[in-house]
Amino acid sequence: MAIIETENLTYTYPGATNPSIRNVSIKIEKGEFVLITGPSGCGKTTLCRCFNGLIPHFYQGKLEGEVFVAGLKVDEHSIHELAKHVGLVFQNPENQLFALSVEKDVAFGLENLGVPRDEIRRRVDWAMKLTGIYHLKDRAPNELSGGQQQRVAIASVLAMKPEIIVLDEPTSFLDPLGAENIFKVIYELNRKFGITIILVEHRLDLTAKYADHIIIMDNGEILLDGETRSVLNSEKARLVGVGIPKATRLYQILKKDRVNLRSTIPLSSDEMAAMLEEVLKSK
Amino acid sequence: MSVFDGLKFRKVKSPIHDLDPRVKFIYVCVIFAIALIFWELIPLLILFLIQLPFVLLGKVQRQWLRSLRGAAFLAIIIFVTNFVFSFIGAGYRFTAESLESAFALTFRFVVLVESFSIFFLTTSPDNLSLALEQTRVPYEFCFAFTTAVRFVPVLANEAQTIMDAQKARGLELERGNFLKRIKNYIPILIPLIVSAIRRSLELAEAMESRAWGATKNRTNLYVLRMNKNDFILLAITTGILITAVYIRLFIPIPSVCELLEI
Ligand SMILES: Nc1ncnc2c1ncn2[C@@H]1O[C@H](COP(=O)(O)OP(=O)(O)OP(=O)(O)O)[C@@H](O)[C@H]1O
Ligand SMILES: [Mg+2]
Repeated sequence: MAIIETENLTYTYPGATNPSIRNVSIKIEKGEFVLITGPSGCGKTTLCRCFNGLIPHFYQGKLEGEVFVAGLKVDEHSIHELAKHVGLVFQNPENQLFALSVEKDVAFGLENLGVPRDEIRRRVDWAMKLTGIYHLKDRAPNELSGGQQQRVAIASVLAMKPEIIVLDEPTSFLDPLGAENIFKVIYELNRKFGITIILVEHRLDLTAKYADHIIIMDNGEILLDGETRSVLNSEKARLVGVGIPKATRLYQILKKDRVNLRSTIPLSSDEMAAMLEEVLKSK
Repeated sequence: MSVFDGLKFRKVKSPIHDLDPRVKFIYVCVIFAIALIFWELIPLLILFLIQLPFVLLGKVQRQWLRSLRGAAFLAIIIFVTNFVFSFIGAGYRFTAESLESAFALTFRFVVLVESFSIFFLTTSPDNLSLALEQTRVPYEFCFAFTTAVRFVPVLANEAQTIMDAQKARGLELERGNFLKRIKNYIPILIPLIVSAIRRSLELAEAMESRAWGATKNRTNLYVLRMNKNDFILLAITTGILITAVYIRLFIPIPSVCELLEI
């Protein structure tokens, strides 16, 4: 069984007339780096909330279809049970840190689970070192930059050692350089520890190169779902206006003009540059 | 604001900061109690002076002075009302005794502010919450406390931003009579409240996602343990308490006027 599996998932917020996501059936394998993208309001955040039980436990509303996460049926297990398997990092770094020091924040989840003190200490130090915030451990969250705050948020879910980390536009409050650094941290977690990553992101230019699998949503439904390069190269992806990487677009245009390029589709400017160099040399 | 500024905690490394907040709290309570059983100037002065070493050891003299300055206005009011009442009580006569007793009652207030400010200046909110937790105060309450401390500067910042934004749109805060001025603040209050509600929802979501309420037996990264200095402070506090009660019961306290033979 895949680590996340949904079947005909349809969800309507309480008081809403139309469902925010409709007939979503996806499969995410263990260890994948998945990108979810799509126009604003298409239901990306709503889908993320289904992965850790915020929907239906926190939001209530009407849930139809099925969601399995790490083998657990989401509506039959409480949020804190699911929290051991799935960590959720939110958009606004400020509103997910509650403690008065970085290390207390990273420890918060483990304290809630009643993990013994020396184990908390070990895991907190481990998570802070991995995310590069160990030197900030005694600082208060509001003395930190947005990028640092977002790393604290990542460390605080990482400390709970989940198999899956879901990040909902974690860098939309950050500058491009800060964003790039966050993506590198996430990528490392994926490669080194095999943590399944689900990243919601608009800026495909920066992130497509990390992803094995991409899901494009539109208007509450899954529009495209598959291997990153082929999905981004498709006509549908370009038409929905998700801002496919410039390198991919350039590749498509050059291909049309019959430039003799390799058949692997580039996702980042580095890959594109290497490809062009190859062509120029061969001439 | 200055009174609160004078109570704001800053991270400093000092023996006073390292003390167990529970012991410090007992100390403050004892000083409170002693200040209330004396109404003569000399013991209250002594009480004021014996706390100065704490201020110096805690390296908080600057903030401490600021908190006293913040309290000065109230102190003056206390002095004046007491003086006026004893002036009237003495049959509209100015006496040295009435001056002294007004001074004494003012000093009582100053001692209260002094010990209070030492406590808050040298106790981190984190430690305070830990102390509450370890005295079996429900965790929800301690959490509410630290979160409030955490978000006060954030909300203050936000209020300032909203104020600037509304001023840029032509809102004039300082115009009109008293009622009108209060009304001027509505365009600031409403966005502030709306955003606070949104913020609290996001916080709740984040808390839930991090296993809030998973078990009744919550653990904590830190525990407070009493060490040598805590026992020393406890001994000092007991000493002060016993001495003070003994003096109150068995030793007549001379007034400054008598000593100076006015
Ligand atoms: N708490 C809520 N209550 C009611 N409706 C909601 C709630 N949150 C979102 N919606 C609605 O659900 C739909 C999908 O919203 P969602 O936040 O999932 O979109 P999104 O893809 O995350 O958008 P964005 O890129 O702007 O974050 C929207 O129409 C929105 O109005
Ligand atoms: Mg969203």
